[in-house]
Amino acid sequence: MRVSSLQKMRAGAEEAESSGYQRVVLKNASPHHYLRVRLVLEDESTRVSAVDLKTFITSCLRSLFGEVGAALNVDVLKYDEETLTALLRVPSRGLVKLWSSLTLQGFYQNQACAFRVLQVSPFLLALTGNSRDLQLD
Amino acid sequence: MSADLSRTQRNLLVCERSSFLDEKNRVSSQVERLRFNYKVSVLLPECGSASSHLESILNSFSSFYLIKQLPLYELLDKDFLQSAVYQGSVYGLSFRTRIDEDNCVALMPNGHLVFSLDKDAFETLGLEGRPSRSNRTSSRYEVTVDLRDGTMAPGGRGYLRLLQGLTSRLKLQMDFLISHHPGGRASLQPLLSRCDWSEHKPEVCQHALSHLVHPTLRSCEPHDLLEWIGAVHGAVSRENSSSDFLSTLTCLEPEATISRVTSVSACGLLLPQDLQHLVEELRCHLQQAQTNSWASVTVHGFTDSPVSWGDGERDVLTGGHDLYNLLMFPDHTYRLHLAAGAQNTCPP
Repeated sequence: MRVSSLQKMRAGAEEAESSGYQRVVLKNASPHHYLRVRLVLEDESTRVSAVDLKTFITSCLRSLFGEVGAALNVDVLKYDEETLTALLRVPSRGLVKLWSSLTLQGFYQNQACAFRVLQVSPFLLALTGNSRDLQLD
Repeated sequence: MSADLSRTQRNLLVCERSSFLDEKNRVSSQVERLRFNYKVSVLLPECGSASSHLESILNSFSSFYLIKQLPLYELLDKDFLQSAVYQGSVYGLSFRTRIDEDNCVALMPNGHLVFSLDKDAFETLGLEGRPSRSNRTSSRYEVTVDLRDGTMAPGGRGYLRLLQGLTSRLKLQMDFLISHHPGGRASLQPLLSRCDWSEHKPEVCQHALSHLVHPTLRSCEPHDLLEWIGAVHGAVSRENSSSDFLSTLTCLEPEATISRVTSVSACGLLLPQDLQHLVEELRCHLQQAQTNSWASVTVHGFTDSPVSWGDGERDVLTGGHDLYNLLMFPDHTYRLHLAAGAQNTCPP
């Protein structure tokens, strides 16, 4: 079955025109970086909405980098309230500022907290798979 | 200081456009070059009954085996070398070891045994190696042994030295994923019979998406295209405006809306040969599809693999894992994007 399907492909391919070959290598050209982060709180029953999280991230940036840092356009692409896991997008020039401000933030509403950065990539597509999540038990 | 904060680690995106009919196209060799594949995701619009055929293709992927606490010297067993390493292609990778914290090992189809070790393990093992190219201050070392080389034949000087290192000096033991093409379990039996092992099939998931808005797939910018495909696979909403508080992600230059798209994915230790077969079957399907149809295949590598594209060293720093996306059209043309992390070698 596989051999006959390949033969059909070759037969139809004679009529198709082949386009030119083009290869481009883009280095450091990604306009955005994407992070998968999880907020770990001392009181695990605390509810944090997506709006609360975005406000908190902005305040983290403000506390470390001031109003200029807080003006960084951070998008919360996806948020899971159950696990407090979020998918963030940030302009590449702001990645270090965002990551460092999340790392150094230790308190959320008077309780200890920590941001776990699970994945970072210049491609959103990379965050749709993580081999560290593979469970085989 | 602000200039430093705006810099990110080096990342590469290789964008290729061609036709499967073009002599220069190297899609097959590029699929082969990413040895350790964790996940494949397929997007197929308006496929109707073909979705069940697609799912059956993914269910036919080769099994792989998890060996718990494999003592690494077992990989030097003569029977195993004869049945699995010298013949066919063996794919082996340490499991649940982190590339930036733990010692990682990979067994390549060309017979190379690659170790990514911390400083203490490297000095204890006592073999020739070199510091990691990606970051000389991170104290990672890479040791590569060619098991098909003459000096590594059982009883040879190199073989005995490695065996002594793994049995008496550095008794490495770790969970190990392994598979073999074309022999499968029969070729791995000499190793499996001495270990605690379990057989696994790639886990297949399928779901349907409705009313999918897509950009001009043939001409949109590579980063926009990958962002759109990532948003589809990640179920990220693109119905935002530039003034929204939470997210400003939108679909740039929307071209059309598709009423139904099938998304199928498989996770596990996937062999490049199975992925080649999947690509061929999708090409066949596209021949019978409408002229404005398309198919997208995304393949993710293992984050903690010590090897990158081909035999290149894997970066231990951040920057994501290796992945590629192949977007195919009915007229045999394609767009291929290969991504590599910070200090990895450029994809082929």
